[in-house]
Amino acid sequence: MPRKIRFKLNGRAVSTDVMPHETIVDMLTQHFDLTGARESCGQGLCGCCTVHVDEKPVSGCLSLAWFLDGANVRTIEGLADGDNLDPVQQAFIETGAFQCGFCTPGFIMMTKKLIEQHPKPTDDEIRHYLTGNLCRCSAYPEIIEAVKLAASRVGLRN
Amino acid sequence: MPAAPFPERERIDARDKVLGATAYAADIPLPGLLYAMMVPATTPKGRVETVAVEGAMQVRGVVRVLTAFDFPALPGPPPTPATEIAYRGQPVALVVAETLEAAIEGAEAVRATYAGQAFVPLIDSPGAARELVQPKKAGNAQAAMAGAATTIEASYVSPAQHHNPMEMLSTTAVWRDGKLTIYEGTQSASLVRANVAIALHLDPAVVEVKSAQVGGAFGQKIPLQRQTPIVALAAILIGRPVKLVLPRAQIFHNAVFRPKSRHQVALGADAGGKLTAIRYDADHQQSRKGTLEPGYHESPPRMYGVADYDGTAAHVRIDTQDPGAMRAPYPHPAQFAFESAVDELAHKLGRDPVAFRLAHQATTDPISGNPLSSCFLNDCLTEGARRFGWERRPIAQGAMVEPDGTLVGWGVAAGGYPANVSPTIATLRVSADGRTRFAVAGHEMGQGIRTVIAQLLQRELDVDPARLEIAIGDTAAAPQHTTASSRGTVSVGAAVTAAAAKMRAAMAELIGQRSIAGNIHRQLATVRRPFLQVEVSTLGPGQDAGALDRLRAGARAAAGPEYPQFTSFSYIAHFVEVRVEPSTRRVRVPRVVSIADCGRVVSPRTAASQVRGGVVWAIGAALREETEVDPRFGGWLNADLADYVVPVNADIGDIDVGFVDRPDPLFNAVGSKGLGEVAMVGAAAAIANAVFHATGTRVRKMPLRIEDLL
Amino acid sequence: MKPFTYARPNSAAEAVKAFAAAGRDARYIAGGTTLYDLMKLGIERPEHLIDVTAIRGLDRIETGGDRLRFEALAPMSAVAADPVVGRDYPVLAEALAKAASQQLRNMATVGGNLLQRTRCLYFRNGAGNPSSVGVYPCNKREPGAGCAAIGGLDRGQAVLGQSEACTAVSPGDWPVALTAMDAAVEVLGPSGARAIPIAELYRLPGATPHLEFMLAPGEMITAITVPKTPAGRRSTYHKIRDRESYAFALASAAVALEMEGERVTRAHIALGGVATRPWRATEAEQMLAGQPLTAAVSLAAGRAAFAGARPGRHNGFKIELGARTVADALMIAARRSA
Repeated sequence: MPRKIRFKLNGRAVSTDVMPHETIVDMLTQHFDLTGARESCGQGLCGCCTVHVDEKPVSGCLSLAWFLDGANVRTIEGLADGDNLDPVQQAFIETGAFQCGFCTPGFIMMTKKLIEQHPKPTDDEIRHYLTGNLCRCSAYPEIIEAVKLAASRVGLRN
Repeated sequence: MPAAPFPERERIDARDKVLGATAYAADIPLPGLLYAMMVPATTPKGRVETVAVEGAMQVRGVVRVLTAFDFPALPGPPPTPATEIAYRGQPVALVVAETLEAAIEGAEAVRATYAGQAFVPLIDSPGAARELVQPKKAGNAQAAMAGAATTIEASYVSPAQHHNPMEMLSTTAVWRDGKLTIYEGTQSASLVRANVAIALHLDPAVVEVKSAQVGGAFGQKIPLQRQTPIVALAAILIGRPVKLVLPRAQIFHNAVFRPKSRHQVALGADAGGKLTAIRYDADHQQSRKGTLEPGYHESPPRMYGVADYDGTAAHVRIDTQDPGAMRAPYPHPAQFAFESAVDELAHKLGRDPVAFRLAHQATTDPISGNPLSSCFLNDCLTEGARRFGWERRPIAQGAMVEPDGTLVGWGVAAGGYPANVSPTIATLRVSADGRTRFAVAGHEMGQGIRTVIAQLLQRELDVDPARLEIAIGDTAAAPQHTTASSRGTVSVGAAVTAAAAKMRAAMAELIGQRSIAGNIHRQLATVRRPFLQVEVSTLGPGQDAGALDRLRAGARAAAGPEYPQFTSFSYIAHFVEVRVEPSTRRVRVPRVVSIADCGRVVSPRTAASQVRGGVVWAIGAALREETEVDPRFGGWLNADLADYVVPVNADIGDIDVGFVDRPDPLFNAVGSKGLGEVAMVGAAAAIANAVFHATGTRVRKMPLRIEDLL
Repeated sequence: MKPFTYARPNSAAEAVKAFAAAGRDARYIAGGTTLYDLMKLGIERPEHLIDVTAIRGLDRIETGGDRLRFEALAPMSAVAADPVVGRDYPVLAEALAKAASQQLRNMATVGGNLLQRTRCLYFRNGAGNPSSVGVYPCNKREPGAGCAAIGGLDRGQAVLGQSEACTAVSPGDWPVALTAMDAAVEVLGPSGARAIPIAELYRLPGATPHLEFMLAPGEMITAITVPKTPAGRRSTYHKIRDRESYAFALASAAVALEMEGERVTRAHIALGGVATRPWRATEAEQMLAGQPLTAAVSLAAGRAAFAGARPGRHNGFKIELGARTVADALMIAARRSA
C-alpha cells in the first residue's frame, strides 16, 4: 500500500509513491538516484544520512519518507550552485577535511546549518554541534578547520 | 636517486566527495535491480535442521529465497550458507525481493530450526584450544635475562574490536551474457574474483570485481566477504542484478574483527641501564579454522637494537567468526604491551623515557641478522620532544596538577611497522587529445592512493592532470593486490617510476632528434600519433616472476619486511598529554605530537591526514573501543555504533604531525616506506603511559575506562 | 517489518479518536526517533501509526506566568535554544543539549522524549531480527522470558530501582531534569484530559517491566509544565559518559539549589544513567537542607543519594561515580548566580 507524497526536493516540486517503512535515504536512493545521503549506523547517530527538511538538518535513515508530504527537502546534491561550490564545500576541499568521503555530505550539510546558527563558531561549539556525525577515517581536526574557514568566508560575504 | 620532497596538493577526488557524487559500490544504479536481505543464524553453534521459507515467499515482492541447499557442496569452510553453524549471525538464507522493504519483511518471516551444540565463547572459557606457532628468537634471551641487573615483567590485554568503516559491507552482483560483475567495497578485488570463482565453480575469466571507491576499510575488506558468493549466486539464478547491504549488526557478526590478544612481556637491563633482554609471549583469539597468524613479533625486536629476543605466540581457538587484520593488526596491540613495558622499565631505572629510548638506536634486525634499511626513530623522538616541550616534564607522577585538581600527565611511546611491497602490473596510456590513463593495482579507501599516483605521475611526466584517469580497484584494469599493510604508495611508486621511464623512452624513440614544443600530449599530436601505451611489471626486492603469477591469481604476492639484503620498517614517536578529571576521572587527550619516519613523503596532505587518523584510532582503542561477548549466548552484544564507542569530534584535541621525510636509501627508488599503519602504532601506549604519569596508576589493558581510575 | 496503517489527524482530540478506532496495536508517532528505531530492530511492531505531527498549535513554548509550559510537539532543539530556559533553567537546557545529536534533537519532540525506551543492550539487540542478530531473553520485550542482563554484561545496568525481572536503565536526560524540577505532564486520552506529576509517569519495573509508563491506552502527552522556582538559575545537568558527546550516561545528575549565602535552603536532585526510572534523590535533598555547601558536604550528599544502591557484576563503579557526579553537579550549580 504505497502512498503518494508531494514535496520540494532541491528546489523542485516532485512526487513519488512511498512504502510505509521507506526512510528518506531509501527513497532518495531508489526513487531519485540521489546517493549523497547514505545510511551507515541505521540509528540516527552517525550523520552520514543528514538532509535538511524544512531547513533543519535531520537523520534521513531514521525519518520515514511517508511523513514528508508538503516538506521542503534539500540534499548535498542541491548545495552547489551549478559549477560553483558552496563555501562549505570549498572549505572542506581546501582543508582536506575527509579521507574516504563517505561521511562528508553529512558533515557538510550540518556545517551549513552550524554556521548559520553560529557565524563565528568556537572549537567547542563546532565539536558539540557535530556530535551526531562520525568520521571513522577520523579527519576531525581538519573538519574543525574546514568549519572555521567556511564560517569566515560566509561572514565576509554577508 | 631518491626523490626530492613533494609539494602539498589537494586530493584528486575531492570535488566529487564534497558534491556527494562519489559512487561507492552500493551507489551504482542498475536497471532491474533486486534487493536482498540476509537471514542470520540465531544459534551460536549447531546444525540447521530446517529452514521454512514459505512465510517469506508469501510476502508481496519477494522473488526468491536461497538457503544452504541452493549451493554446491564444497570442501573446507564454506563461504556460502551452510547447514553447519560455527557462530551466531552466520548466513542461513538470503531473501531477494523487488524492494528493500519486501526483502526485510521476507527475511523476518524466514524460520530456521537448529540442533544446538555446546560452544566455547571466550579465550578463557573451558575448552578453548591453545595452539602454539613457530617462536621468534634471536641470540640467547634466557642468558641475557639471567644476567640482567634490572628486570620487569607484566601482562597486558588488547580487546576484540571491530573496524566499523562508515561504508557498510555490501555486494551488488550482475550476471549478463555469461559474465559476472561484482561491485563491492573491497581491498582485494582480485582475491574476491578468485574466491567467488572457486565458491561457485566458475572460470575466473568470467568474473570481474569493481571497487572504485571504498568508504573506509581499515582491514575489514581484505578477505572474501561472507555475503559475496551468496549474492552472486542469487544474481546468476534469478538473472537480474541483486544488491545486498548488510545491516550494521550483521556486519559485526560476519566481518572479520581484531581478535582479543594477551601479552606477557619481560624486559631486562644491564647495570648500565641498557636494555639487553626481551621475552614476549603473545596469544590471541582465533576461530576453529581461522588462519590469521599471531604475528605479534613484527615490531618489538626491531625497535631498540636488542640482540637477545625470545618470543612465543599462539592461537586460542574458540567458537567465533574468523578474526582478521584491523589497522596495525599486530604492532598496535604488541606495541601497547611492549612500549608500556619499556615505560615501566625506564621508570624502575629512574630514567626519562625519551632519553632511555634515544639510548637504544637500532641498526640491525636481530631476527634476520641483516641491517635495517633505515631507522630514523631517534629523529622522531628528538623532534617530537622539541615540539611537545618535553624538557619541562617532571619525572615524578602526579606532579602536574591544575588549580581545579585536574591531573595532567605526559607520556611517550614509539611504534614500528613493516615496510611491505607488492609486485605490480600497470598500463600507462597517454593520448594526443590530452587524456592519460594509468591502470594499476590499488584500492582507494580514503588513504589517498589516487592522489599519490597523480603526484608521482606528474613529477615524472608532463601530463594534463585535469584529464588523468586512474583506473584502480578494478580487475578489468589490472591485477589487483590486496591494498593493506601500508604497501600502496611503495608499490604504485615502483609502477609509476617504471611506466614513466618506459614512456619517456618510447617518446624519445618516436620523436628522435626532432625538437617539439609543448607537453607530451602536444608532442603526440604534432607527430600525429593518437596515443602511446606502455605496460610494465615490477617486483619487490628479491622477488621472482612467480610473484606476478600469484598477483594475477589473486593470491598472496607481497613481500616484506625481511628482504634478502636488509629489513625495512617505518617508525613513529607519539607524545601525549592527558588530563584526568579529579573526581569522576574522565580522561581527555587535549594534545598529541606525532613524528613519523615513513621514508620520503609523497603526498604531504594525505600523509598528515593518515597520521591524525591513526592517532584518533589509538585514542579510541586506548580509551573506548571493545566488542563484547556474553559467554552464555555467544555473538557480539554491543553490535551497533551507539554501544561500540568510537571517538567523536568532541573527544579529539590538537594533533600536531611531523615527518622526518628522509628517503630510505635501499628499499625503493622513491625512498618511501609506508605510513597508514605505523601512524597508529604506539599511540595507545603513549596514552597509558601519560595516564600513569598523571595518576600513578598503571593500566595494562585496553580500553582504559573511568572505573579503572576511580 | 510489518506493514501498518496510517492516520494523520489535525487535532489532539482527533488523534485520540483515531487511536481508539485503531485499537491496541496503535502507536502515536511524532519525531519517530525511538519508535522507528525500535521498529527496525523488530521490537516495536505497530499495526497502526497515528502521526501527530500535523496537529497545529501543539508546539508552543510558554515561559511567562508562574510556570514554564512546553507543548508536546516542540522539538527538543527549540526548547534547548529558548533564551529564557537557557538563562533561568540551565538544568533543562543542558539536559536537552547533552541528549542525542543536533539532528535527532531537531526531529525528536519534548513530549515524545519522555517515552524513550531503554538502551539496555539485551533489550535492544535481542529480538533475533535481521537488523539486530542477537537472541537474548528480555522480560521487557517478552513478559516472562527472563532477563539476560542479570548475571550478564551489566556495566550499563541500573544500581537503583532494579527488580528480579529487570535492571534496564531509564535512558533519558530530559526526564531526569524534569523530575528534579517537579514537572507535571498534561495528557489527553479517551477519558479526557488530566495532569500527572512526572514522578508518577514512570513505573518501577517490579514484576512487570514491560509496563513502563502510567498512561492508559490511547493517552497522549500534550504538554509539560514546570513550576517556576528561584532554584532554576542555580542549576545544572551534569552527565558522565564514555565519550565526550553522543553517548548515554554512565551517571548523570540534575541539580538545582536555593541558597542563602553559603547555605542550601532547598535542593533538587535527580539521577540519570543509574536507575530504572528517573530517580529523585530525596535523601540527599533532605540531607543538604540547611547545610553550608562544601566539597565534603556535596560528596556526603552524593553518597546519600546512593545509600540504597545495589551493584550487579560489573556496574558497582556506578555507585561511587554517581556519588561524585552528584557532588560535582552541586558544586557547579552553587557557583552559578541566582
